[in-house]
Amino acid sequence: MKILTVIAILSARVTTFFLRLLGRGGTSLPGRVALFFQRNLLETLSSGYTVIAVTGTNGKTTTSRVIGNILSKAGIDFFENKSGANLLPGIAASFAMDCSISGKPGHEFAVIECDEAAFRTAGPAMKPAVVVITNLFRDQLDRYGEISHMLTKIREGLLSCPGASVVLNSDDSLSYSISESIRNNLITFGVNEAPYGSDDDFISDAPYCIRCKNPYSYGYRTYGHLGDFRCTSCGYKRTAPDISATDIEMNFSGSAFMLHMKGQAFEVCPALPGAYNIYNVLAAVAAVSPFIDDTALLADGIATFESGFGRMEKILLENFPLTMVLVKNPAGLNQVINFLSYDDSTKILVMILNDNFADGTDISWIWDSNFEKLHSFSDRFSKIYLSGTRAEELLVRFKYAGFEPDLITVQKNYRILIEDIVLSNTEKTPVFVLPTYSAMFDFRGVLAQKYKLKEFWK
Amino acid sequence: MDKLNICHLYPDLLNLYGDRGNIISMVKRLEWRGIGSEVIEISVGMEFNPDAYDIVFIGGGQDFEQEILLPDLLGEKASNLRHAVESDTTFLAICGGYQLLGLYYKTWNGHQLDFTGAIDIYTIGNTDRMIGNFMFETSIDGQAYEVAGFENHSGMTYLGDNVTPLGRIIKGYGNNGTDRTAGARYRNVFCSYSHGPLLPKNPFLCDHILLTALREKYGDYELKALNDSEETSAHDVMCRRLR
Repeated sequence: MKILTVIAILSARVTTFFLRLLGRGGTSLPGRVALFFQRNLLETLSSGYTVIAVTGTNGKTTTSRVIGNILSKAGIDFFENKSGANLLPGIAASFAMDCSISGKPGHEFAVIECDEAAFRTAGPAMKPAVVVITNLFRDQLDRYGEISHMLTKIREGLLSCPGASVVLNSDDSLSYSISESIRNNLITFGVNEAPYGSDDDFISDAPYCIRCKNPYSYGYRTYGHLGDFRCTSCGYKRTAPDISATDIEMNFSGSAFMLHMKGQAFEVCPALPGAYNIYNVLAAVAAVSPFIDDTALLADGIATFESGFGRMEKILLENFPLTMVLVKNPAGLNQVINFLSYDDSTKILVMILNDNFADGTDISWIWDSNFEKLHSFSDRFSKIYLSGTRAEELLVRFKYAGFEPDLITVQKNYRILIEDIVLSNTEKTPVFVLPTYSAMFDFRGVLAQKYKLKEFWK
Repeated sequence: MDKLNICHLYPDLLNLYGDRGNIISMVKRLEWRGIGSEVIEISVGMEFNPDAYDIVFIGGGQDFEQEILLPDLLGEKASNLRHAVESDTTFLAICGGYQLLGLYYKTWNGHQLDFTGAIDIYTIGNTDRMIGNFMFETSIDGQAYEVAGFENHSGMTYLGDNVTPLGRIIKGYGNNGTDRTAGARYRNVFCSYSHGPLLPKNPFLCDHILLTALREKYGDYELKALNDSEETSAHDVMCRRLR
């Protein structure tokens, strides 16, 4: 058995080495090669680590990174699976790269972002100490299927993780419903007030009770279907979270709020704009709470976190800033539109819609996003570019939201697109790029060639 | 000002992915021609008045949502829907909405759910899903058009004698993956498995549906042409890819 582990680890490393030689950052192939040699490789390699697994629809990457930053500040020795290596082969490869040739753990902790569909098998294999379910939204129906099926899969995965503390979002009627069928130690997080006030229009993925199918009523809503939900028919309702946020102040560059945990309250100031990032911060604090409860250290870990890799990632080009904000589903894009609406300075907007497998081949979701709201402050965009494999369809969406199509530039070649922005942006206007998943990789890759960016696998 | 009343049936339940795009498309294309519209949202517990609407739109839903609405739909609403269909109200029904207008849905393991029976079609569940971009040819006033869309369904739908297909499959699965039919036509009812935003990149179909409703309401009617270059370009990109 042991010799197979060594061969599996070596095969993953050799494959990775050759991929790097080819200038590629793939993580799936090395994992598949290694799993060919040892099928239960992930189980074997992860057994020496204290694993924190993060899954759910939105916010997995940011939550994982905030967890990582807090662990660093606490001096805890850990590694994380970077670069979207969040399916089983990618996760196995990440462990194979971290441990020694003989399979000895390279670090004490592992913070593992796990695709929600892959969690059912990858989650239990790692025997995690903590599992975070960030939330559940409708996402890529062609790939993930219906929300209720996704819920069942995650529940099945958790039932095979009996030793894990489970972090659940008490504001999410969908994922929180899992609490009824598991007997794990629960740590809940939630937002105790509506960060946007009450004047926002909401699209809900779950207007009807998951238990009894009657409509929910809400004390307040934060975004999407999240908030203080209550079913007056069967009594299923939000319960007060263990880790919560109050006194929220939001601005274009971040937020400040009071974080409550274990009877203590302290102010935190994440440099992460958007209400959804308040949830990500709370989820991260909940995830580390079994190990760390020093409030000063937590506040420091939150305040010093800088987002990266396409999630509000700020890149300085020539002499203007370019912010990349990954968008992949209507709930996420609506949040980004909300974020853009805060600030009334002039911007250049770039949106890139791809329909590759990783993006979801079905792009229908753009019609569920609130481009009408984006149009309501369109005077702030000095220029709009559209790109990606389905740029033409995106242009139709913009047109029907009220934008004048003649004022929008469609440019599918990223190199020309970037050159055009650099040459024409004499006013040094900040640029916001909203790419889907594979578009983010490709666009970032083209930027990286021109402007020394960190390669994503580093 | 001429005006169409558009009923969006169960908008909070049958809104699978981008279904709203069809409403947006109809409203905008009327607006750009100076024709008014009002969208009336009818959901669980609300009355569906069969004589009040010029167009009824029904989108697709997940199993969970369809279970919620069935008890509501199969009461008075079903007979009112049948009445509206027979009195030539224009309908656009997509995916789950398409199935719900039919006689029944039989799951793959033989469990039968009775539906509204507004049109003579029925659906058999399958264990495999039919997913992907697809394309079919339809005929409008004797002229052939290619319709591009995305299908994602496990139900296999079969058409009765007095129902004709909306089109013939060029690429993809269509109604059932075997007989090459795509969607259904009966009186002024249009049905398709092209889920979500069928109309935005098929503007000729949107206009045909609008014209059907306008002629039903006002008699002889013509629509002024619009500049559809963006819609046509989005449509052509997908058709070229599929061919």
